[in-house]
Amino acid sequence: MPPDTEPVLLRTKGLTRRFGGLLAVSDLDFEIRPREILGLIGPNGAGKSTTFNLISGFYKPSAGELHVFGENCTGRSSLAISRLGLVRTFQHGSLMRSMTVADNILLGTIHGVKGGARRRERVAQTAAMLGLSPYLSEEAGNLPHGLQRLVSIGIAFAARPKLLCLDEPLTGLNQTEVASTLTVLERIRDEFACSVLLVEHNMKAVMRVCDRIVVLHHGQHLATGTPAEIRADRRVIEAYLGHRHEH
Amino acid sequence: MDDLKLPYWLGGLVLALAGTALVRDAYIASVVNLIAIGALTAVSLRFVMLMGELNFATAAFVGIGAYTAGATLTILGWPFPLALLAGGIGAGLVSIVFGYVTLRTKGPYFLLIGFAFTEAVRILYSKSATLGGTSGMIGIFPPVALDGWMPTFIVAVSALLILGLYALERSDFGKILTAIRDNENVARTVGLDILLIKIACFATASFAAGIAGSLHAFANNVISPGDFSFLVAAFALAYVKVGGEDSIVGPLVGTVLLVVLGSYALGLGGGEHIFYGAAIMLAVLLLPRGVTGLAGGKRPQAGGGH
Amino acid sequence: MQTAIQLTLTSLQIGAVYILFSLGLTLIFGVMRIVNFAHGHLFAVSALVVAAAVPWLASSGLPVLPAYLLAALAGIAAAMALGLLMYLAGFRFFQRDMVGSFILSIGLVLLLDGMLLKLFGGAVRPVPEIFPGTISILGAAITIQRFALCIAAILITAMLYVALTRTKLGKALRAFSIDHEAAMLQGIPYNRMALAGFMIASGLAALAGALIAPVTIVSPVIGADYLIKGFIAVIVGGLGSVPGAILGGLFVAAIETFGSFYFDPSSATVAIFFLVIAVLLVRPKGLLGHG
Repeated sequence: MPPDTEPVLLRTKGLTRRFGGLLAVSDLDFEIRPREILGLIGPNGAGKSTTFNLISGFYKPSAGELHVFGENCTGRSSLAISRLGLVRTFQHGSLMRSMTVADNILLGTIHGVKGGARRRERVAQTAAMLGLSPYLSEEAGNLPHGLQRLVSIGIAFAARPKLLCLDEPLTGLNQTEVASTLTVLERIRDEFACSVLLVEHNMKAVMRVCDRIVVLHHGQHLATGTPAEIRADRRVIEAYLGHRHEH
Repeated sequence: MDDLKLPYWLGGLVLALAGTALVRDAYIASVVNLIAIGALTAVSLRFVMLMGELNFATAAFVGIGAYTAGATLTILGWPFPLALLAGGIGAGLVSIVFGYVTLRTKGPYFLLIGFAFTEAVRILYSKSATLGGTSGMIGIFPPVALDGWMPTFIVAVSALLILGLYALERSDFGKILTAIRDNENVARTVGLDILLIKIACFATASFAAGIAGSLHAFANNVISPGDFSFLVAAFALAYVKVGGEDSIVGPLVGTVLLVVLGSYALGLGGGEHIFYGAAIMLAVLLLPRGVTGLAGGKRPQAGGGH
Repeated sequence: MQTAIQLTLTSLQIGAVYILFSLGLTLIFGVMRIVNFAHGHLFAVSALVVAAAVPWLASSGLPVLPAYLLAALAGIAAAMALGLLMYLAGFRFFQRDMVGSFILSIGLVLLLDGMLLKLFGGAVRPVPEIFPGTISILGAAITIQRFALCIAAILITAMLYVALTRTKLGKALRAFSIDHEAAMLQGIPYNRMALAGFMIASGLAALAGALIAPVTIVSPVIGADYLIKGFIAVIVGGLGSVPGAILGGLFVAAIETFGSFYFDPSSATVAIFFLVIAVLLVRPKGLLGHG
């Protein structure tokens, strides 16, 4: 657990987003601390995607505040927020299928690293950490689904963010792949001092890897706590209608 | 930067230039000029296709380049090298403004606004008395020293710019463009300013198109608004499509093929449009990868090796 | 005030043709997601056939009105046959491929330009007056021919609107326009929709050509100017949107008419262009678009 004196990486206050008559997210307060893996869960329609898009600048909030790395980022563009060090992936197809794995990961290095040699060094490092080194010259679109997911994480992580936001990265992965991806996330947290925000449906994985979990329901904050606390929380259990922890 | 196979390119260039130096016949000289300028325009068009957009304003920028070169030479009295360069810079500057506004749109909107821009600019030339109105501008002569060497000069300048665009394509900047074409959202999330990059790509291509226009002006000595209708872009697109859009060689092959065959077709009695039209349709229907696609087989990987 | 009414009337009458054009273009884009530059040639073929047939029929002894109606039928049939050929031999293979279909249409434009020139020659053909005389509406004068053109265009547009909102085919076409995947998941047969959309659009262009022949100078290149204005109308209105096409058509016609009167025709065209850019700045997909 990080010491309490370190400033939080991200904080929302009263974050709200309306779509016409629909209140997708309402009055949401939560924070992401340094060196933690935070899970964002909730039943379908809970507002997870909207929250994700709000904090990464892809949606502007209807009300409330967003603070990222100490700066008030309410209403700022996705470009500005990504340049501060918050990098996100997308739920579907978060990679360039027509390019090689190496070039995919390279894209993440371009903004932060100057010079061809140093960029390629980071690509090699990132690939090594994700187990993608044997596939660098492969066209990403030809790879099996599990490896493609890793490539998406690779692109985002190559930008060496301070906060890595992953949108359902485990969908479609088998148990072995899930396990190795979770190990990668833990390494990212421990060796690179990068926090991870994980939106996921795979409860077993979430319980295993997250340091804390935020639960949303009907666009509102339902509960925050450690996996043990959330597992025991009645309101969470009810919200999921007795949802079991296997997937 | 990935291996550009520079020795091959330079070797080919030397051969081409040597070839042009042997040209004595005025007609063949004009065909060579047409090929060089057409190839440059086609490569410029293809450069914007790298980022996934069909730039139908290419014709407008060729025209802006031609008129800028002509005007700076005949009206402002600038020396030849400056006038030539001015064509490219003028086109580039206008393209930055145009791109800043229109690159926020995509696909069919960007295409059609480029088309409308081409026609609007043409009307502006016709209405301007200083630029010669509908009859156009005359007296755009290159220096006497280049007399007889025009084809060589034009091929050299075109080749230089084509090589430059090729180098950019193979560089990391080129990879960003491919990424934008493939999945713009992902490129957006890793700190890249997409609009700025698109404008940079567009301006670079427009600079090249502007130089093509300058070269056209000096090669023909006379320009008029009718020279720069959307057909310029249509032909450039034909060169790219027939030759193959997957590599830089495609537009070159396509230009040579269509210009040479077109010159024969002209001799067949004014059926030039029918010829070009049929060629484009057949190429699109039967050769989706163009002529070079037949030879190349699998699409070359955008990344190359390391 | 008088001038304003006259100008408005002229705008409506010019706009009528632009609307028929832009409706076709937006319909094709909505259903097939393609841009067809050769659309103008369907219009031209129809107009050319009418312009060639009416004098010939009239000189064979037929009174002008039946001659015109017969010629119009022939023109529309010819144009729609060409449209069918375009679809079967080409566009049907390029659905949803905007670049490929566009390039194909460019090839078609060049081919048809050359062929129409060879078939009909470059000379312009005037069509004899079908409805002679002028009438006065709210104090502004309009020839009966142009008035008839206006009424016809309004009727056709209204019928199309009703067809698109009330009939099963119309609703299917609109479903495709809004969301391809969803429409396909609903089991709506895509190829039949594409053919229907393309043929309706061709029919609109053909009708426009037959209607315009009596009131304008018909030459093989007549399609080009209307095509540009038609596309501008569609960009402004939004690709795929029928109300957008109508709005865009009226917008372009208004600027052209008022601009030509207060300044001159070419300035009006330039003005149209800059206004379109302004629209795209604020709404990159046109006023009502969902492409």
